[in-house]
Amino acid sequence: MWDTYIIIPMTNVLLFIYDIIGHNFGIAIILFTILIRAITWPLTAQQLKGTQGMQELQKDKEWLGIQKKYKDDKEKLAQEQMRIYKERGINPFGSCLPTLIQFPVIIGLYQSIIRSLAATPLSLLNFSRNLYPFLDVTEIVPLNSKFLWMDLGRPESLPIFGFDLPVLAVIVLITSYMQSKLMTPPANPGDQSAAMGNMMSIYMPFFMGYLAMTFPSGLALYFITSNILGVAQYAMMGRANWSNLIPGRK
Amino acid sequence: MKSKKLLVIMMAVMLSILLSGCSASAMNANSWSGLSADTEKAYLANGSLVYAINLDNGSVSWQYPADKADAKESYFATPVVTEDGQLLLASAGTAHSLVSVNAATGVVNWIFGDSEGIWIASPIVVDEKIYAPNTDGKLYAFDLNGNFLWAKHLGGPLWSQPVVDGNFLYINSLDHNLYAFDIQKEDIAWTTQLSGAAPGSPLLGADGTLYSGSFGSKVEAINTDSQTIKWDFATSGWVWDAIALEGETLYAGDLDGNFYAIDATNGDSIWGPVKPNGTILGAPLVTEDFIVIGTESGTAYAYDHEGSTLWQQAIGGQLYGAPVQGGELILFSPMENDSILVALDTEGRQVWQFTPEN
Repeated sequence: MWDTYIIIPMTNVLLFIYDIIGHNFGIAIILFTILIRAITWPLTAQQLKGTQGMQELQKDKEWLGIQKKYKDDKEKLAQEQMRIYKERGINPFGSCLPTLIQFPVIIGLYQSIIRSLAATPLSLLNFSRNLYPFLDVTEIVPLNSKFLWMDLGRPESLPIFGFDLPVLAVIVLITSYMQSKLMTPPANPGDQSAAMGNMMSIYMPFFMGYLAMTFPSGLALYFITSNILGVAQYAMMGRANWSNLIPGRK
Repeated sequence: MKSKKLLVIMMAVMLSILLSGCSASAMNANSWSGLSADTEKAYLANGSLVYAINLDNGSVSWQYPADKADAKESYFATPVVTEDGQLLLASAGTAHSLVSVNAATGVVNWIFGDSEGIWIASPIVVDEKIYAPNTDGKLYAFDLNGNFLWAKHLGGPLWSQPVVDGNFLYINSLDHNLYAFDIQKEDIAWTTQLSGAAPGSPLLGADGTLYSGSFGSKVEAINTDSQTIKWDFATSGWVWDAIALEGETLYAGDLDGNFYAIDATNGDSIWGPVKPNGTILGAPLVTEDFIVIGTESGTAYAYDHEGSTLWQQAIGGQLYGAPVQGGELILFSPMENDSILVALDTEGRQVWQFTPEN
């Protein structure tokens, strides 16, 4: 099921792009990411809307009023919260959906990259069985895994002054940090959820950087492209909060 | 809001675990086995261990490493016995070492660990020099003491053992080329483009013609004098491993599960294709009386030279590797099977099987 609906279609789309753009797997991953971002554009827009709506609620008098009024009656509080969500047209889970969509994409892409680059006999045999009949891969197998200084099937590092530095992982960390900061609306003092959001915007980029450092660099390329496109999308929608990038500003 | 953030953290942790799981399973899935034999022992490379197994009863003579497997090594390539009693082992693991052990005892002679890529191909020994093709596209040369001599870049990942005619090494590459390497000049003499990636070894005929299968779904004959393709024979699926030659007949299997007999002089079909019950990867084993192949569905087949089935034997697992003759026995190294080495007699009856402890 996972193979049929996620891995095999992803692998074939990647191969199709690779074939038509002149056998560059790095460019194929970048174009594939743009495609994924385009498909999930409405979801990302919904996420931004949901985040904004939830943030505005934290300052709303009626919202604050019911928190105080029903603080000892959890059931009633939940009912009132749902009523307000409905009245304002806010989907409280709307901001989670794009994040949820990212997970199968990340895992699927990781497996597609590993399968497509097929560096061992068994992986090449499995790869040969994942191909749609309309794709003639005789000419393109084996795939060229080199892109710039990277081998996209392996974790990346660049020798600088005698040290192997994980350059891509650092870029992933920076772009992840930028993206999470730009999408965080201005917070009120004492706002606990905003404090939690700030913590997340620090921990998550390190987590993504760790993944980029540990797993094949093709995945890191996806992270970077996706982050840059995310920032561009927020900016285009006029939702990017550039002041958050200045250190010390809340 | 708080619970939502917690959910994101939990999902991040789950993603990390899932990716790690994928990575671990990919490592496990990427096992392969290599098998060779002399008149007394079979040498089986399987995962992180290499076994020397007595042919008379299937017992272990020694294993390498003797005490504990090294998780950084994974031996895919067929072990090679040299005239001076070394057994050469090539690892596709993260440490990707080329190892020489004493073929009689399994004690290490030397280890080379400075290649850029992993070793999937077996090395070959010519005139007291070891030539080892690597997935980094280079051909490495060593003396018999394991001293590194040089490495020459050919091209593409090199997955198969070269063949030699005294002056040249002929090496197939996944980059769709067959390379002729001049041993004296230590350089590429010429290349010929094949119809696709070629993970198996070429075959050298007595008249100097080379025969090779490839992912171009063809068997091709290459004239080494003119360095051109003499003829090609279209197969239904990709041809993975080496093909076999008996007299003037070539035998080849493909990934679609077809088995062919081809006239080596002109590329015409002699008989077939016959269709056993699964994908054929390993090179056929040709004896005076019959031809033996293994299939992915775990069955061994013996055909006579006219293409009639003499016997078939269900072994189990997946028979990806080529069958090997060891003394009077026919050996198979199934994957995904409890027994990793199975010995048959010439009528297809099982003589013994080897199941490692644990």
